[in-house]
Amino acid sequence: MKFTDFLTKDCCVMDLKAETKEDAIRELAGVMASRGLITDTDDFIKHIFEREHLGSTGIGNHVAIPHCPTRSVKDLAIGFGRSSRGIDFSAVDGKEVNYIFLMGTHPEHLGLYLKFLAGLSRLLADHAFYSEFSGVGSPEELIAVFSKYEK
Amino acid sequence: MAIKHVMVAVGAFSNSLVPAKYAIALSKQLQARLTAVHVINEKVLHDLLKSRVFVEIEARQYQRDLEEQAGLFMERMQKLAQEKRVALETVIIRGEISVEVVKKAQELQADILVMGELKEVFSTRDFFYDEGERLFRRNCCPVLVVKNPVQVETLFNEV
Repeated sequence: MKFTDFLTKDCCVMDLKAETKEDAIRELAGVMASRGLITDTDDFIKHIFEREHLGSTGIGNHVAIPHCPTRSVKDLAIGFGRSSRGIDFSAVDGKEVNYIFLMGTHPEHLGLYLKFLAGLSRLLADHAFYSEFSGVGSPEELIAVFSKYEK
Repeated sequence: MAIKHVMVAVGAFSNSLVPAKYAIALSKQLQARLTAVHVINEKVLHDLLKSRVFVEIEARQYQRDLEEQAGLFMERMQKLAQEKRVALETVIIRGEISVEVVKKAQELQADILVMGELKEVFSTRDFFYDEGERLFRRNCCPVLVVKNPVQVETLFNEV
């Protein structure tokens, strides 16, 4: 299984309308729910917010990866959102967040989910990948960059 | 050389029932000792803490969840082994999967390691990061990769 088997273009929002962390999560979760990835949106958002209360998932370098395991997700769900204006996520480096990966998994897929989270954070720390990733203009380009670096 | 000790590497989810059932059937037919090994993948939790995707309390919770899932799987496998009157020893360890299974196979002097089907390899990166690939290549005793779940189910029902 590859990351791009789960990151689909119809769950990529290239211009988030939200201006706050909470609204951005709600906006992305709504898109993922409309594509059938989430069965109970309110419960999913509740779990994501509970995780955020433990500490920000703003990992630095303008990226946040809010995530949680919950039975409100069918299998493994990934949504991507980009905010050109930037969102305050209380990130570890204090910078505003422009790129959000919202991830959830059914507990049955915990192993794969952990592997994807680790793989994503590894890719985002790769300067060559980040440079291409931050320059994409469309969901198709975004998926193409991930596909390229999965090879 | 007779196969006296079969070791099977299992995950915690339903797809691991295929190698588990095959190993039970193989042990029954060979009248060999059977050990099932599961490794809690601590490396991935450590990597996620280091990259700040996880916070400490969260990593501990995931570790507990992974341990619980491993325990439940082993209970399930124990019932399957009892059904076939095969004595099963179960081992749950923490660490890096490919490293710990290889160590355990050497320590317990396993004659053969049974493992699930390898994932399709899409890239050279997979060779370096897929734990199944690493285990397959690193292990010292012969490795048997189990395929075809339907055939395995038939074999399991027949023994």
